[in-house]
Amino acid sequence: MGMIGFLILFPLVVALVLLCVKNNQARNVIASIAAATIAFASIALTVVYFGKDSFISLSSPVIDYICSAIGIIIAICILVYAVRYRNILAGVLALVQVAAALVFEFGFSHGIAVASGLYLDSLSLLMALVIGVIGSGICLYALGYMEDFQAEHADAPDRRPVFFALMFLFLSAMFGVVFSNNMLWLFTAWEITTICSFLLIGYTRTDEAIKNAFRQIVMNLLGGIGFTAALFFIAVNFHTLSFAEFIAAGAANPGLATLPVICLAFAGITKAAQMPFQSWLLGAMVAPTPTSALLHSSTMVKAGVFLLVKLAPIFAVSFVPSVMVILVGGVTFTFCSFMAISQSNAKRVLAYSTVANLGLIVACAGVGTPEAIWAAAFLIIFHAIAKSLLFLCVGTAEHHIGSRDIEDMDLLFERMPQLARYMMLGIMCMFIAPFGMLIAKWATLVSFVDTKQVTLIILLVFGSAATFMFWGKWLGKLAGIAGSPENDEQTVHRSEWVSILLMVVLVVACCVGLPFISLYVIEPYIATVFGTFSRGIADGNLVIASVATAFVVVVLFAGLGKGKAKKAEVYLSGISVDNEGRTFSNSLSKETAATARNWYMEHIFGEQAISGIGTVCTALIIVVAFLASVASLLGMF
Amino acid sequence: MDGMSIVAVVIGTIAFTVAAPLLGCLLAGIDRKISARMQGRVGPPLLQPYYDVRKLLEKDRVSVNASEGLYISCALFFTLLAGGIFFSGGSVLMSVFVITLAALFFIVAAYSTRSPYAEVGANREILQVLAYEPMVLLVAVGFYMAIGSFDVAAALGAPVPAIATTGLLFIGFLFVLTIKLRKSPFDLSYSHHAHQEIVKGITTEMSGPTLAKVEVMHWCENVLFLGWVGMFFLWANPLSILAAVAVALFVYFLEIVIDNNFARVKWQAMLKWSWLVTIIAGGINIVLLTYL
Repeated sequence: MGMIGFLILFPLVVALVLLCVKNNQARNVIASIAAATIAFASIALTVVYFGKDSFISLSSPVIDYICSAIGIIIAICILVYAVRYRNILAGVLALVQVAAALVFEFGFSHGIAVASGLYLDSLSLLMALVIGVIGSGICLYALGYMEDFQAEHADAPDRRPVFFALMFLFLSAMFGVVFSNNMLWLFTAWEITTICSFLLIGYTRTDEAIKNAFRQIVMNLLGGIGFTAALFFIAVNFHTLSFAEFIAAGAANPGLATLPVICLAFAGITKAAQMPFQSWLLGAMVAPTPTSALLHSSTMVKAGVFLLVKLAPIFAVSFVPSVMVILVGGVTFTFCSFMAISQSNAKRVLAYSTVANLGLIVACAGVGTPEAIWAAAFLIIFHAIAKSLLFLCVGTAEHHIGSRDIEDMDLLFERMPQLARYMMLGIMCMFIAPFGMLIAKWATLVSFVDTKQVTLIILLVFGSAATFMFWGKWLGKLAGIAGSPENDEQTVHRSEWVSILLMVVLVVACCVGLPFISLYVIEPYIATVFGTFSRGIADGNLVIASVATAFVVVVLFAGLGKGKAKKAEVYLSGISVDNEGRTFSNSLSKETAATARNWYMEHIFGEQAISGIGTVCTALIIVVAFLASVASLLGMF
Repeated sequence: MDGMSIVAVVIGTIAFTVAAPLLGCLLAGIDRKISARMQGRVGPPLLQPYYDVRKLLEKDRVSVNASEGLYISCALFFTLLAGGIFFSGGSVLMSVFVITLAALFFIVAAYSTRSPYAEVGANREILQVLAYEPMVLLVAVGFYMAIGSFDVAAALGAPVPAIATTGLLFIGFLFVLTIKLRKSPFDLSYSHHAHQEIVKGITTEMSGPTLAKVEVMHWCENVLFLGWVGMFFLWANPLSILAAVAVALFVYFLEIVIDNNFARVKWQAMLKWSWLVTIIAGGINIVLLTYL
C-alpha cells in the first residue's frame, strides 16, 4: 500500500517542485534523482509484491471528492483554452463531460462504496515497470534534449518548468491508471493523462501545435464521454464501481455487460489512437521528441490497451464488443502499416508503427483467450522498450544532423556510429525474428488461427509484410557506409546517452531473457486470470530465438565495420569522375551525381489512398457495434 | 523434450550445412543444362556452378566497405539455420522467420554499399519480400490447420498429406515460389543472366569470396524452398518422402520452364499479381480450412 501510494504521490510532488524551479542546474539534479527514485521504487515494488496479487482496502470519500475536484479543474482548463483559441467543439465536449461526471458522482455513485480502492496483479506490476523504468528514463533523456531544444528556439520563452512538471504529473497519473480498482479514480487518472498530453502537444504554441493539440483533446474527450457512459451503466446495472467486480460480473453476465463494455472499449480505442482516431497521434508528433516517446509510444497509449486487456475475460464471452475490438484493431494494424511505407519523416513512421502495433494488441485483447493475452503482454513490453529507444535515437539524431527525414540519415553510420547501431537494434527489435516483437507476433498469429479469426489472419499476414518493407528500407538507409567520417557524436548530452543505453540494455535483456519473462512474469498472470494456459510457441523455439538474438547483437556491436577487405570503389557503369561522391560523366560530358532514394510508393500506400477507406471501415464497425448492443439491450427488457 | 528439439536443430543445421550446398549445386547445374537445351545450346558441364564458386573463393577480398562481408556471412548463417530447423522436423513458421532474417541481412548488405545499382536492387528485393511474404505466411498457417502443428515432423504422423486440404494454397505458393527462386518473370532484384537493366542489381558490389557466399546461400535457399514444396505431400507412410522429393523435383523443372518462357515484368505487375493470388487462392483455402 505504502509503495503504491509513494509511486502515485511522489511524482506529483516532484512535478510541483519542478514547476517552481527555474534554475537549469537545480532542475537537472532534482529530475535526475527523482527519475532514479521512481525507477528503483517501481522495481522494488515488483520484486516485493510479485506473485502476490492483492486488493488494498482503501475507501475514502475525501479521495472521491478530490477526484471530482480534479475533474472540474480539468474541464475548466480545457474551457479556458477552448475560449482562448476559439475551439467550440472542445469547449462543448468538456462541458458535457464534466456535467455528466458531476451528475454521476452526486446522483448515481452515491451509496456505491468500493472497499478496495487499489489493487495490484502481475499485469499492473508489469505496467508499473514500463512506466517507472522506461518513463523515468525518458524524463532523464528530456533534460539534455530540452536544453538543445531551448537553444534552438532561443526566441521562445523558457517554459521548461511547465514541461517537466507535466512529464512527472503524467507518470503519477499513469501509476493511478494501473493501480486503481475504484473506477472513479481510474477515470480521473485517465483524464489527467488526456490533459497532460493536450498541454504537451501544444507546448510550442505554434499554429500547427495548437491545432493538433485540439484534435487530440476532442478525440479523447469523446473517449472520456464513452468512459462516463460506461460508469453510468455499470453503476445502474451492476451496482458496483469496483473494476475487478465489474469484470467478474460482466464475464458471468455478458448480455448485460455488452453496452458498458462497448463504451469502455470505445474509450480505450480513442486513447490507443486506433482508426478512425489515429490522426491525433500523428498530429502529436509536432511535440518535442521526449513527449512523443513518453506519451505517445510507451505509456499514454498503453493506458488504452491496458484497459482493453483488462476487459479480455468479458471479450472472450461477449460477441459484439469482441468483434468490434478485433476488427478495429486488425484493420488499424494493416492499414497503418501500409501508410508507414509512404512516410519519409522518421517520427511519422514511428507514429504509424505505434498505431499499427497497438492495433495488434487491441485485436489480441478482443480475442480474449489466454494465448492472445500472452501475446498482448509481450507486444506491450517490447513495443514500449524498442519504440522508446527509437524515439530517443531519432530525437538525438535530429539535433545533430538537423533533420528527422529518413533520407537524411544516409550516412548516420559514419557520422554517429554508436547512435546508428542503437537505432538499428531498435528497428530490428520491432520487426524481425528472432527479436521479441516478432515472437509476440508469432504467438498472435497462433491465437488468431486457434480462434478461427480468418479476417485477422489475412490482415496480419499482409500487415506483417508491409512492416518488413518500411522497417527494412529504413534499416538499409542507416547501414549506408561511405568515406569521410565526421563524427558528430561528441556533443550529445550525457543524460541522452544514459537513457538511450538504458533502453538498449532493456531491449537486449528482454529479448534474450524472453523465455524467463514468459515463465516467471506473464504465465503466472494468465494463470490467475484464466486458470488454464497452453503457450502457442514451444520452449525450444523460444530458446532458439533467444540465442539467435544474442548472436545478432554481438554481430551488430562487435563485428560491424571491422572487415579487412581491400577497399574498392563503387561501380558507376561508365566514366566516373569522383567515386566517393558517386559522380559520373554523363552523355553530355557533364557531371552528374548518382543519388538513390528509398521507395515510398505514394500512389499505392499513400495516406490519401488508404486513410479514407480505413476511417470509413472502422467508423462503420464502431457504429454498427453500438447499434447492435443497444438493440440487444432493448431486446432483453 | 525441449532439450531434444534444440539438439535436433543443431544436428539438422550441421547436416544441412553439409548436404544443402551439394544438392543445391547439382540443382543449379541441372538448371543450367536444361535451360541450355531448351534454348538449343549444349550448356556448361553439370558441375559448372561449383567451378564458378571455387574460382570466386580464390579471388582477393575486395569490398567497398568493411561491413558488407559480415552482413553476407550472417545471411548465409541464418539460411543454414532455417534449413536446419526445417529439415530436423522443427517449426515451419520458425523456418520462415529465420529465412526472412537472412533476406534482411542480404538486403542490408546491398544498402550498406551506397552503390546506385545495388541500392535499386535492394529496394526491389524488399519489394519482392513484400510481394511473397503474405503467401508464405499463409502457407505456414494452412499447414498448421491441416496437420495440427507447425512442426514438419508432425506431417509424418498425419493420416492424409496436407495437400488433401490445401490445394489452393499450394498453387498460390507455386506462384510466389518463382519470386523466391529468383526466376523470370520475377527476377527483378538480380538475375542469373548477365547484365540486366540494373547491372547485377543487389549483388553489384559483391565480389570474390563474398559473392561465393551469396551463391552458396542461394543454393541452400533453393533446397529449403523445395523442402517447403515437399512438405505438402508428407503423411504417415514413410514412402511419402519419396513422393515429396519427386514432386519437389517436378516443381523445380516447372520453374525452369517458366524461367525460360517469360520476360521480366515490372514491379507493379509482380506486386499486384502476387497479392491477388494470395488473397484469392490463400484466402479461400484458409476460409475452407476454417469452416469445413
